[in-house]
Amino acid sequence: MTLLRSELTKLLVQKRTYVGWIGLVTIPLLMVVALNFASPAPRGGDAAANTAGAANSFFSLAADNGLLVPLAAIAVLTSFLLPLVASMAGGFQLAGEAESGTIKTWLVHPVSRGGVVLSKWAVAVAYLLAGLVLVAATCYAVGVALFGAHDPALLSGGTVSIAHGLWLTLLAYLYVGLGMIVVISLAVLFSTFTDSSLTATIGTLVLVIVMQIVGSLSYFDFLQPCLFTSHLDAWQNLFQGSIDWWPIGKGLLAFGAYIVVSTVAACCAFQRSDVLV
Amino acid sequence: MVLAAHGLTKIFDRLVAVDHLDLGVRRGDVFGFLGPNGAGKTTTIRMIFGLVYPTSGHVEVLDHRVPRDRREALRHIGGFVEVPAFYGNMSARRNLRLMGRLNDVTDEKRIEEVLDVVGLPDRADSKVGDYSHGMKQRLGIANALLHRPELIILDEPTSGLDPQGMKDVRELIRELGSGGTTVFLSSHLLHEIEQVCNRAVIINKGRVVVEGPVADLRPTSSSVKVLTTDQDRAREVLGQLVGPQAVANEEGYLVAEGSDEVVHEMVRRLVEEGIGVDAVIPAHEQGLEDYFLGLTRSSDVDAGPADPHKNGGAR
Repeated sequence: MTLLRSELTKLLVQKRTYVGWIGLVTIPLLMVVALNFASPAPRGGDAAANTAGAANSFFSLAADNGLLVPLAAIAVLTSFLLPLVASMAGGFQLAGEAESGTIKTWLVHPVSRGGVVLSKWAVAVAYLLAGLVLVAATCYAVGVALFGAHDPALLSGGTVSIAHGLWLTLLAYLYVGLGMIVVISLAVLFSTFTDSSLTATIGTLVLVIVMQIVGSLSYFDFLQPCLFTSHLDAWQNLFQGSIDWWPIGKGLLAFGAYIVVSTVAACCAFQRSDVLV
Repeated sequence: MVLAAHGLTKIFDRLVAVDHLDLGVRRGDVFGFLGPNGAGKTTTIRMIFGLVYPTSGHVEVLDHRVPRDRREALRHIGGFVEVPAFYGNMSARRNLRLMGRLNDVTDEKRIEEVLDVVGLPDRADSKVGDYSHGMKQRLGIANALLHRPELIILDEPTSGLDPQGMKDVRELIRELGSGGTTVFLSSHLLHEIEQVCNRAVIINKGRVVVEGPVADLRPTSSSVKVLTTDQDRAREVLGQLVGPQAVANEEGYLVAEGSDEVVHEMVRRLVEEGIGVDAVIPAHEQGLEDYFLGLTRSSDVDAGPADPHKNGGAR
């Protein structure tokens, strides 16, 4: 707990913490402005059958209902900005401290190295989840103010009650959050191998992008189940008339495997590494 | 022993940074860890703190074996390696609060005390990022003292300090020693070790060159430098006593070889001859640095290369 508290203190005094959050909140704000002032796009569930265009679908639906703005936001953010913020959150942890030399100041105190890795991982996760909460809160506030709050429409057509819609949105955010915790775990692992936070961040981001590209090529279809990026959009199944839980379950399994393997590997690597900075 | 190293060895790839090093630091010692740059001092200190894993051998801190019992050992140690690093966007006080928590020190009074000891109370609320190198060194010492450890390890604590800063830090180390704290002081400055330490070891290329009480590390010279009111006559008198070849001229002084008894006789004879004696100084004071260099050079003959990561490296 001491380590966790200390990590939180450090997080909250860093300017980049707030820059990341501001970046995350800016995107939905711009989106809402575009929705409000752009000429009306085709609305309703017309595009619903096309899952690949789900972001567009939520975008269109959100123009009728402020309660759907948070979903349009994460559909947009999941492709790049969220992985970037998650990579930074994880990559700056150990490598950032190695860069500034503070890691050795930390480790000459009686702390466990595994505890240091886990507390840094936990703080990066808390940072990301707080960012998602900010995004959702901003989207609800601005979306409802501009577009009102109605029974949310589903991608497959039809509507659900507001309460049920809020519940589904919460599940969607938790699912995306878990997907981004994979990115954080990979970044923390990368940051145990380098004393450059930029290398750890960029390395993670490159891996995510490579996975996204490999996942989009039909030749590599056999790899799909192993790529966590292929499961990132599975939350959209929550907004079909009858929910197909299987893709979501597969995604959760893949996310869990990545998180556990990366974090255990990070703890082991840091446990055995020589700190020479 | 408060601190002991047994056959401590670290090899980076094929570079031998520390080579079967044995050390013994007793309770209350102000122990000098002396060696030229690149001798393996910092790598040794990293192994004591458990930052670097030895290739073979181990360290014992108050019977806790490092790296196996690293955390228990670190409860008894305070100190820093190379330049102390802190969070630049926080004040000194906040940094100390943060670090203190790791040793269960939450007492604000103790933070005030250590800031006072190192002369930083007026800048305690300034951001550490605005601190000079010397102030960071002082803050490093404050952090080392915070949990009242039994052993304090300081890696070149006076490096980069101005003369007054050096004097203050050396005075502080002396005070810690006289207060019963064991201090392990790494330095490449022989005179610094002489000023503050009671025991020392000289290492080079990762190996011990000589170890013992600081007084015994001095070269055993029997020469004296003599300054008189009449140097020409004095040279004749001393030449008669110890032989003309045993008297030399050096920067205005006469340097004469002779044991303590001969020195007494020299002074007596000079006075008898009516020559005023202004100064008789042990000549070895001038030769300490040369002696140190001689020791470390002679150990170069068959030793391997030194600490390759002194200025940082990959983790």
